This record gives sequence, structure tokens and C-alpha cells, in this order.
Amino acid sequence: MSTFLNILVVGLLLGGIYGLVSIGLNLIFGVIRIVNFAQGELVMLGMYGAYFSYWLVGMDPYVSILVVVPALFVFGVLIQRFILQPLQNESMMQIFATFGLLLLLQNVILAITRGTGYTVPTDLSTVVIDIAGLKISLVRLIALFAVTAVAVGMSWFLKNTLPGKAIRAVTQDRRAARLMGINVELTFMLTFGMGAALAGLAGTLLAPIYTMSPQIGGNFILAAFAVVVLGGLGSVWGAFIGGFIIGLIEALAGYYLDPALKHAVWFLVFIAVLIVRPGGLFGIAGAEEVGLREQH
Amino acid sequence: MSSIEIPMAMSGRAAPGITTFRVELVRILVLSLILLGLAWVYGKNPFILNILAYTFLFAGLSSAWNIIGGFGGQFSLGHGVFFAIGAYLTANLYLHFQISPWLALVPAAALAAVVAAAVSWPTFRLKGPFFAIATMAFNEVAFVLANYFETLTGGPRGLSLPFKAGLANMIFTNRFSYALLMLGFLVACLLVSAAVLRSRFGYYLQAVREDEDAARAAGIRVLQVKLLGMALSAALTGIGGALFAMYLRFVDPPTLLSLPDIGVKFALIALIGGVGTLYGPLAGALLIVPVESYLRAELGGMVPGTNLIVLGAVLILFALFMKRGLIGAGTALWQRLTSARPEGGGGG
Repeated sequence: MSTFLNILVVGLLLGGIYGLVSIGLNLIFGVIRIVNFAQGELVMLGMYGAYFSYWLVGMDPYVSILVVVPALFVFGVLIQRFILQPLQNESMMQIFATFGLLLLLQNVILAITRGTGYTVPTDLSTVVIDIAGLKISLVRLIALFAVTAVAVGMSWFLKNTLPGKAIRAVTQDRRAARLMGINVELTFMLTFGMGAALAGLAGTLLAPIYTMSPQIGGNFILAAFAVVVLGGLGSVWGAFIGGFIIGLIEALAGYYLDPALKHAVWFLVFIAVLIVRPGGLFGIAGAEEVGLREQH
Repeated sequence: MSSIEIPMAMSGRAAPGITTFRVELVRILVLSLILLGLAWVYGKNPFILNILAYTFLFAGLSSAWNIIGGFGGQFSLGHGVFFAIGAYLTANLYLHFQISPWLALVPAAALAAVVAAAVSWPTFRLKGPFFAIATMAFNEVAFVLANYFETLTGGPRGLSLPFKAGLANMIFTNRFSYALLMLGFLVACLLVSAAVLRSRFGYYLQAVREDEDAARAAGIRVLQVKLLGMALSAALTGIGGALFAMYLRFVDPPTLLSLPDIGVKFALIALIGGVGTLYGPLAGALLIVPVESYLRAELGGMVPGTNLIVLGAVLILFALFMKRGLIGAGTALWQRLTSARPEGGGGG
């Protein structure tokens, strides 16, 4: 029984990490309808940003959030403005461009760091909370709290603020939103900026957990795609809950089946969901096809 | 994506701007003679012959991808799986049953086609980016499975094929023979592509790409056309994988199923050259493979990843400024130079 509980805890903590990475991806995916293959690399940039802040001024990764998140917001706005905006309505070219961005970011970091693996020390990284035999690493628990806070904050933002309402209006119907006087391009820049900022937040929170490598984004991006598809296109809570589902599947498959097969299992679940219910568990059925309809 | 000429006349005489299969046959013959001459000139230089062999192989593989990805508009990122199937099957048949790789090409192509059809049957419900993500996930499943089933794939350690030179073993002592082999593969892929492009089936594929619903309304069996296109594309890719295995004489999961190096590269080469055009993949491979090999050899030791930085930048720039690839840009330039009014539909 305690093994099972331990597996559940491991799965939930992992799910928190996946959810954290996925919310930003899903925001971009749902609103701008761009499959951002470079989202994992934005997370990677967040991690290296945390390391850089530490290396430069000895900043704790949890403090470096104040620097990294705004920096990635600006970076995201620039990507949207100069790379993705000219490619609107050309989904193939967007895939192409974000994949180019993935290669570029990954290998620029590789060239700079020469592939040395870094970790960012924080006083909290060795702390393990022990609740009745269940061992919970504090840094992972912080990620879990962060994803909950982000999900609550995001849904509040989308529901109650003017920019949030603009984002939802653009998601539902670009043309109608434009007719209502919403600046669609500006909303897209805001959305991509927020998506990148969330990736940066995920990166700084994951910096104390993982050893950094330029390719680390790849570990998250496919999981994040699975989460997004599972949870539902554009749904904040879908990404939140989808993260836990994927995390739990991975932990359970890793223990009861074979650690080597855990990724294959959730990929299969992912493909199955894509085929059976492409709109996702919490998405609107048919939403997956809207992304291809030309919107102006 | 409306760079393809719209057929004016389906009868014997071609409409202006549309070439017949016979014309393409002559063009392919001339092109292959030029490429053969290139390999002949550098026949003593193993470094350049190696690059040429890779260029021909990837031009062929990218042409194969182009059948479903370009003509059919199905952006598959999972072609690495069919590539790996061909490579592993050939390696296993050669290692364990001493079956000549030449004979193994037939089951390699067949198995790749069957797997492609079986996997695509459900995934073709998805469109555009969703199809791309699903095929990418499919590639990752294959990667995990290839690592896991060691009896078939040698697991992470891979399979090494012993060096026993001989025509029957498809193992040669000189690289010129390999360059010839890959050139033969490229020519085969180009011929199949040309035959598809100028056939009724090819027009069905292009109709499906432009508008699936309209194609269905016009009486085209959309799923059947897509499945056939995918199976054909995968069969050629499987053959390419078999040749790759015999050239390298080593196969392991990262070499066969790496997304940036294999699965995505087929698509990228086609896109850089001109997706959906007959010679686009060849043009893309002639540009990308030598540049990448050169950068990897010259700068890879000093600054790791330089070749991929350049590739990434090229991708973004092509997506932004040369959407129709080298062939599209070349055609536009040619039209401007000859100041001929563009014929047919086109106009993107």
C-alpha cells in the first residue's frame, strides 16, 4: 500500500512539472493556433537564465524568477511579432519556423556552454519532507504549488480582466473580435509573450530539479503535447489536469510495467486520445479542426 | 501552397506549363547523368564521395516523403519509423539468415508500407498540425520500442554488420559504388514521383491537399487516396533505410529515429527545395546536405552544433522569405527574366 502511495506521490509531483510546462504551450496553441515546437526550448532558456543569474550575481533560482520571466515575455513578443505573425494562416510554414527556432536555440546554447551540464544550487534542493513514510522533495512540491497557482491565476485573468477577455474573444472568433475593435495582432503578441513567460517560470522552477542540458526541452515538449491534447485545446484546467494524468500514467507504467517503457505507454495513450477524441477531455469537440480553417 | 500548376487538359496533349511524363523522363535522365558526372569527377576523393552518397540518399528519401507530404499535403514527421523498419529488417535478414540485402529490399518496402497503412488509417482522421504531432509521437514510441526489444534491434548498443565486401552483400570497398547505389535510389524515387505526379492518382492526391471536402464531393475516395500515397511513400523510405543500413553497416535507435536528423529532415529538405514540386527535394538536398556535412566537419570540433544553428536559421529564413523553396524562387526568377506571363492557375 505504501509503495502504491509513493508511486501516486511521484506521479502527482511529476504531473505538476508537466502541467507547469503545458499551460504556456496550451495558451499559445489554443489562442494563436500555433504548434510551438520550440516551447521546450523556451523552458530550457528559463533554466539557463536561472543558472546565468546564479553564476553572475549568485542569485537564488527562486529570486531569478523576477528577471527570467519578464525577459522571456519580451523574447516571446519578439518571436510572435517577427517570425510567427508574418506566417499567419500557413500552419505548415509555422511548424517549419518553430522547428527552426528549436534547432537554433538548442544549438546556440550548446555552442555557448559546450554541452557542460549545470545545476543551480538552492538551500531548498536537499530538503525532503517525510509524511508517514512518504518522501516528498520540497522543490518538486513547490512546482506543484506553482502550477496550481498559475492555473488559478490564469483562469482568473482570462475571465475577469480586459486583456483576458480579449484573448478569449480572439480564441472564439478572430474576425468578430476584430470587428469589436480588439487589436488581434497585439493580443497575439501578448499571448505568445505570456506563453513564453510561463515557460520561463517553469524553467526557473525546474532548474534546481534537473541537470541542465541544451536538449532538455525535448524531455518536456512531447509530454506537454500529450498533456495539451489530453486536457483539451486551449483549456487552462485541461492542461492542469492533463499534466497529472500523464504524470500518473508515467509513474504507474514505470513501476508496474517497465521503466524503459513508461514513455511508450503515455505516447500510446496520447495517440489513442488524439484519434478517439481529438478535442481532448476538456476541449470542445471539433476544436482541433478550427485551427486549420482560415481565419482573418 | 498553391504552387502546383492546375491541369488544363487531361488528354494526351499537355496544357501550357504542364509537362508530360515523357518530358520528365528526359529531364530525370539528364539530371542523373549530371550527378553521375559529378560523382565521377570526385571519384578519388572519399570525403566528397561520402557527402555525395548522403546527398543522393537524402534527396531520394525526401522525394519519397514528398509524395505524401508534398503532393498529398500530409505533414508526416514519422517517416523515420519506416526508415528504421527498412534498416532493421535488412540488417536482421542479413545477420541471421544471410539473405542478400538486394532481396531484403522487397520485404523492407512491403513491411514499411503495411505498417504505414495500419498506423495511418486511424491517424488520417487528424489534420494539419495535429497529424504532425501524432506522427511525431509515433516516432517517439518507435524509439522507445527499438531500445526495448533488444533481440530485434540490438537495443541501445545497436547492430553491427560485418564487413564482407561483395556485390551480393551490397558492401563495397570503394565509396564510388555507394554513390552509384544511392544515385540509383534517387533516380528510382524521382521516377516514381514523376509517374505519380502525372497520373490520375497524383491529381487525386493534390486535390485532397488543396481541399479535402471538395475532393470528397468530387467523388474522390479521400482516405483510400491518402493511404495509398502514404504506403507508396513509406515503401520507398523503407528501401532508403535498407540502403542506409548497408552503407553505415551499423544501426542503432539514435541514428535511425532521431527526429532532427532523420524524421524531420526529410520534410525540411523538401520544404527548403520546394514542397510539392518534383525536383524540390533534390534541390533542397543538394543545398542542405553538403553545407551541413561541411559545417559539421569544419566547425563541429571547435564549436559543437554549428551545423544545426545554420540549419535552424536557414529554416526560419526560408519559412519567412522563400515559402516556395528553391524551386519556387527559381521559377519566379525565370519567369521574370523571360518576362513571360505566368500560365495556368498558380498565383499564390
